[in-house]
Amino acid sequence: MKQVEEKEEASVYQRVVLKNASPYHYLKVRLVLEDESTRLSAVELKYFIITGLKSLYGEVGAAVNFDVLKYDEDTLTALLRVYSSLVKLWSSLTLLGSYQNKACAFRVLQVSPFLLALTGNSRDLHLD
Amino acid sequence: MVRLKSRYLLCEVNVSDRSQLLLLDDRAIMVAVKAAVARTHGDYGAAMCSIRFCVKYLNAHTGIVFLRFPKRCYKLLWSALPFITSIETRGQKIPCFLNCLHVGVKLRVCTKAQYKGNTNYLQPKTNKQLKKHEV
Repeated sequence: MKQVEEKEEASVYQRVVLKNASPYHYLKVRLVLEDESTRLSAVELKYFIITGLKSLYGEVGAAVNFDVLKYDEDTLTALLRVYSSLVKLWSSLTLLGSYQNKACAFRVLQVSPFLLALTGNSRDLHLD
Repeated sequence: MVRLKSRYLLCEVNVSDRSQLLLLDDRAIMVAVKAAVARTHGDYGAAMCSIRFCVKYLNAHTGIVFLRFPKRCYKLLWSALPFITSIETRGQKIPCFLNCLHVGVKLRVCTKAQYKGNTNYLQPKTNKQLKKHEV
C-alpha cells in the first residue's frame, strides 16, 4: 500500500512560482534608424541610451546601472542588462526618438529576468 | 471622499551674507527649486513638480520658507533640494543652500514647528540670542 502511495505522490503536478528571483533584467533590443546605413559602435550606443535616460530621469537616471552585454553592429541588435530599474530603462528607450537629428526607434524584442530565456524565441522558431 | 494630500516642508535658506537674504522672492525660490528638480530628476521630476507644488510662505528676514509637495512624490522632490547652490533674483545670483527642518502634514503643524524653531533650530539672529548661546 505504501509503495502505491509513493508512486501517486511522484506523479503529482507541482507548480513553483518565483517572485523577484533575479536582481538583473535582460533586454534584447534593436535600434531602427531612418537612415539604414548609419553604424554605431557599442560605446556610442551606450552613450546614446544614457542621454535618453538623462533627458527623462535627469542626473539620477543617467546613473542607472546597466551594461551592454552583446552588440551586433550589422543588425544593431544589443543585449542589455539592468540591475533593478527595468522600468526606467525601458521607458527611456521607448521615448528616445532621434539620433543626430534623424528619427529612430528602439524595438524591444525580448525581456526576461533570466538570460537563458533569451536564447530561444518562439517567434523565430523554424520547424522543418 | 477623495482627499488631496500634501506634505509641507519647512526649510531654512542659509546665506553667507545676511543682507542678501532680503532680496529673496517666492517666485525666485520656485524657479530655483523647479530648475534643480529638472536637472536632478529630468522630465519625470519636472512633471511631478508641476502639480500642486508651491511656495506657501517666505520670510525674507529669517530665511524661512514653506514648500508644499504632493504626498506621493515628496521624497523624490526633497532629494533634489540639496542640489540648489544659488538663487537668482533681480539679476543677482545669491549663493545659498536649503536646510530642511521639518516635514508636516498640515500647514498648522509647520507653523508651530517654526515658533519652536525660533529658539532651537535656527541660527541666532540677534545679539541677545548670541549671548544666550555663548552662556
